[in-house]
Amino acid sequence: MAPAVRLGSGAGVSPVIGSAAEIARQVSRGVRSAASVLAEAKDRIRARDPDLNCFTATTFERAEREAAAIDALQAQGKPLPPLAGVPYAVKNLFDIEGMVTLAGAKVNASNAPAATDATIVARMQRAGAVLVGALNMEELAYGFTTENPHYGTTRNPHDHSRGAGGSSGGSAAAVGAGMVPISLGSDTSGSIRVPASLCGVFGLKPTYGRLSRSGTFPFVNSFDHVGPFGASVSDLALAYDAMLGPDSQDPACAQRAPEPVGTAPVLPPGIRIGILGGWFHEWADPAARRAVQLAATALNAGEWTELKGAEAARAAAYIVTGAEGGALHRPRLIERYGEFGPASRARLVAGSLIPASWVVQAQRVRRQVYREALELFKRYDLLIAAAAPAVAPLVGQETMEINGRSIPTKAGLGVLTQPISCIGLPVCTVPLWPGSDELPPERSLPLGVQLIGAPWREDLCLGAARALEQAGVAEFRLPLGYGTQLER
Amino acid sequence: MWHDQRVTEANSEPLESYVRAALALQGYHFDEAQIAEITVQFSRLEAIAQTVMQWPLPFASEAAPVFRP
Repeated sequence: MAPAVRLGSGAGVSPVIGSAAEIARQVSRGVRSAASVLAEAKDRIRARDPDLNCFTATTFERAEREAAAIDALQAQGKPLPPLAGVPYAVKNLFDIEGMVTLAGAKVNASNAPAATDATIVARMQRAGAVLVGALNMEELAYGFTTENPHYGTTRNPHDHSRGAGGSSGGSAAAVGAGMVPISLGSDTSGSIRVPASLCGVFGLKPTYGRLSRSGTFPFVNSFDHVGPFGASVSDLALAYDAMLGPDSQDPACAQRAPEPVGTAPVLPPGIRIGILGGWFHEWADPAARRAVQLAATALNAGEWTELKGAEAARAAAYIVTGAEGGALHRPRLIERYGEFGPASRARLVAGSLIPASWVVQAQRVRRQVYREALELFKRYDLLIAAAAPAVAPLVGQETMEINGRSIPTKAGLGVLTQPISCIGLPVCTVPLWPGSDELPPERSLPLGVQLIGAPWREDLCLGAARALEQAGVAEFRLPLGYGTQLER
Repeated sequence: MWHDQRVTEANSEPLESYVRAALALQGYHFDEAQIAEITVQFSRLEAIAQTVMQWPLPFASEAAPVFRP
């Protein structure tokens, strides 16, 4: 394990790493070696990470071994796996063999190193991907900003004075800055969708129970999901397919056979799409509303609808999160309170005091709102809502103004994602560039839109995402000054 | 309305008493400043819990499943 790199400045390296799909094609054909792809990724990480603070550790020695194994297979003329030679990195709550799993917390730093890789890290390795490092996150995944008191703040690749979002901020910013084409994160209440939205990348939070969480540091077992970030829909789909499959080690992981989506998911004709109003409109600022409208227009969606109980679902998620998170950490909060960050320790203790009746009621609300959602899916195949209430706030900004109301940034950024993860629906977040009164779309900050499917319909979420990508409405953009766009 | 805005003076005293009792029951030992900070956090949770507790549910509605043997 190596410490995170702290060198140089951002724009001096070749700007384009290439999409995962293109890298794998080129490596398979011998056009590029996995070793040369890795060398370029390392250059980009060394050049760009010092400004952004995405990586808490690099795994370059391991990456060299993995790349060499791929190149050896290629030299022998053997068929290569689908992610052959593709560099990727993971949020530092995924177990990486031989490394301490930090989950963004100093209190974990003295834990024993992981004996094996997390299940989906092992699956990425089997698919030929090359692990280059571990990524920064909010302490213990409790918050939406990645302003980590122990490992520093991860900054937004499109404006370094702004945050990357969280809790998987390092995962989103590393893809957003073009350091890696794919990364992995987790999402308990919005921790894939919020940073994807703020950093302008694609993110997939699958159905609860779809991907194994075995070998990840837990936060809230009732809501914890894992999933990929990518610079394109096809890359997201490639990574998703590689990680599919049941896992008896994770009690929440569904015992379903893999249902791969392929690299070019398609939205079938006649799909019915509803735009979520009510809570989701109320807490979206003008730019977020504009992003939703752009996506809806491109998908020919004109009908507004409401998810009854969205506010209650968010509140239920808040209560269950407090109770489970607090209970999980209670023994260490008693013994080592001072090692927890100031923004999380009192919240965690307070959560551990929540009475059982609130938790049981919250889980009943969750079931009820899930039923309301299933009713909606009798009328619609997909639902659309903004992924964040506004574009990325400034680093250190304690409150946000949304439609004239002030909300705390660290918790409020998840106001539109929390009701959806509470009931476990699959969501693909796509990056739009809605512009603002001050900035034209070509210079604006990104803002994500959630494409929400019925349970187990990731194929429709990704199909709609690809339709928006092909229409040029949703797109990955390298930050200004980093050069040209992604080569596909 | 944002949940934090529902915290009122009226419920602050029983909240503080609850927090002190629950901390003792759970085995925590904190100084007064820490207890005050935890009480603020708990009052936010209590405000949010009002939305959950007031949500009308059918009497026999079940909790979401959390255990599969």
